[in-house]
Amino acid sequence: MQAMIRVSELRKKYGKLTAVDGISFEVLRGESFGLLGPNGAGKTTILNMLVGLLDPDGGSIEVNGVRDATRPRVKKKIGVAPQSLSLYDEMTAAENLSFFGSLYGLPRRKLKDRIDWALSLSGLVDRKTHRVKTFSGGMKRRLNLACALVHEPTLVLLDEPTVGVDPQSRNHIFESIEQLKNEGLTVIYTTHYMEEAQRLCDRIAIIDQGKVLALDTVEALIEQHGGHSRVEVKLASLPDDPSALPGELNGSVLSVETDRPLEIVAQLAESGLKFLTLKVDRVDLESVFLNLTGRRLRDQ
Amino acid sequence: MKGMLILAAKDLRLLWRDRFGLFWVLGFPLIMALLFGSLYSGDGGGASNISIGVVDEDQSDESKAYVKKLQESEALTVKHLDLPTAQDQVRKGKLSAFLRVEKGFGDSPFGSSTEGLLLELGVDPARRAAKAYLQGILIRTWFDSTKDMFSNPMKMRQLVTEGLRDIDQSTGISKSQRDVFNTFLANVDRFLGDVDPEVYSQNEPLGNMEIKTVSVIRDKAQPRNPFDITFPSGILWGLIGCATAFGISIVNERSSGTLLRIRLSPLGRAQILGGKGLACFAACVGVTVFLIFIGVVFFKVQLSDPLKATLAIFSTAICFVGIMMLISVMGKTERAVSGAGWAILLVMAMFGGCMIPLAFMPGWMQTISHLSPVKWCILALEGAIWRQFSYAEMAQPCGILVIIGVVFFTAGVKIFARSGQKVSDTSR
Repeated sequence: MQAMIRVSELRKKYGKLTAVDGISFEVLRGESFGLLGPNGAGKTTILNMLVGLLDPDGGSIEVNGVRDATRPRVKKKIGVAPQSLSLYDEMTAAENLSFFGSLYGLPRRKLKDRIDWALSLSGLVDRKTHRVKTFSGGMKRRLNLACALVHEPTLVLLDEPTVGVDPQSRNHIFESIEQLKNEGLTVIYTTHYMEEAQRLCDRIAIIDQGKVLALDTVEALIEQHGGHSRVEVKLASLPDDPSALPGELNGSVLSVETDRPLEIVAQLAESGLKFLTLKVDRVDLESVFLNLTGRRLRDQ
Repeated sequence: MKGMLILAAKDLRLLWRDRFGLFWVLGFPLIMALLFGSLYSGDGGGASNISIGVVDEDQSDESKAYVKKLQESEALTVKHLDLPTAQDQVRKGKLSAFLRVEKGFGDSPFGSSTEGLLLELGVDPARRAAKAYLQGILIRTWFDSTKDMFSNPMKMRQLVTEGLRDIDQSTGISKSQRDVFNTFLANVDRFLGDVDPEVYSQNEPLGNMEIKTVSVIRDKAQPRNPFDITFPSGILWGLIGCATAFGISIVNERSSGTLLRIRLSPLGRAQILGGKGLACFAACVGVTVFLIFIGVVFFKVQLSDPLKATLAIFSTAICFVGIMMLISVMGKTERAVSGAGWAILLVMAMFGGCMIPLAFMPGWMQTISHLSPVKWCILALEGAIWRQFSYAEMAQPCGILVIIGVVFFTAGVKIFARSGQKVSDTSR
């Protein structure tokens, strides 16, 4: 599959602080690619360099085979939903969409169709004539996403699109992004929520302190860096031969680290042991980040 | 160009929806123009119509004729009063002055005695200009009355007869002098008796005593009413409101992230800033045209030449677009830009003639005013409204305004571009 974005040895410094330190990656056409990292890892700086808002200090970027992302023909194909809500509060939802869509030179009829589509995608059809200042935070977030899509881009960059939204709106945004994936759009998604990255992204680059620590599919990352799942069982009574049990026994609590936790649970049940409690800690991206950096994502 | 128009239309729509901002752009300037226009109007409207009370104690034909001539004067409004009422009304400021026509005015030659005219003017000594102005009008009217007497041979013969009698009765005069006067007056009496009265009265005995006046172009270029002066000042308040509003809107777009989204579109930086400038230009032109329209239609503001007015409006708008651009880069927050913008523009307004009309400024202030773009804006607008500048005269203020606009806009764009990289990302 052809690369939509090709980044090589990208560097950016703010004074003495290195924000992006020699990052390289490729995003394939139609792929959903995640940049996962804590706040301050350099995700937004990477996005800003991808769309030409910031000049890199070193390295190169190619978008759709073009090195200069500031060219109008490249910009027309890119949609960005910035982390901050970039909307006009005194204008209605439809007026915001119309304004941002018209900047891309869409013909009137096409623009109208796209506005209707974007309102439908964001679930704001009923509120299209209402001024944005009357919207809830979640509705604004959805409109912020819609404004990035109204001009029919083929590459969408979403910078923390679910920050500060209610669960209902978050779910709506997830469904919208999944719809975009199904329509074949290339999506770059930055987040510090591993659940989002895990649900939405085909491949993920884990970033910390301006460097890519790991890059692969979710499954591969977990397999390579996630370590083992952990099964913890509190037994009703100890067996005659505790040494035959897998894992470590601490009093009546048995802990087993394994790649196949469900098989362990089944094996213990078949041996006739009775459980008072059962807890399975599955490996996820949080574990991957913890193993790679020694810190938790949410601790940042 | 289409992108610039889209951006400008959006900005004008946002300005229209911001009722509070709109007040500073349209409402406040109109209030200022009307308020100061009314205040200046209440100053008596110049010296064109002075109210005086007349106390005619003589009630002779001559005194009545004199008062009638006073009433015919366009410069005066005359009220017939008794002396105490006239004095009281002058004291209370209801009348500018009173005039007492003393007893004997009609009987004495030319209404005068050995002590002078039998007229008394009552006026506040502090109003020296009004006093001198009134004295001039009263003397001129008296002179017009005496001209009638000279034109009437019967009245003149009566005066000659009285003169001969006075000489005859006089004791302090030598015989030779008495003979000279008697001979002279007897000859005058004979002349007046022989002359055809119709032919005599056709001659102006003292010639025409009117001072000739010639029209000088500058005379016409005076403000016809105070609104001619206050509307250009009001317009400047509107333009200051526009420049501040759009300057703040650039910062607001930066902080809210909408500028970032616009920059992500295929529009170039020049188009983005051009769109902002176009919106400010359109708003400035709109405000100026609106206020001039109100002034011309409702307040008799004179518009000497629409073409020159267009020139003044456009150059003024260009200047304020430049000021707007420079204001927008004076701070990183709305508060900073608003504070700095208003502070600078208020000083410009103060020394430029927005608060004190240029014509009323002391000399040193008029010198400083050359540094304020506001002064050139007012001069350009006044040149087109009532000063009746020629195109050559318009070239100076308009040229200066365009230069200021271009220089300020260019400086603002350069600073904006330099700070553009910092704007994009403050949080990684």
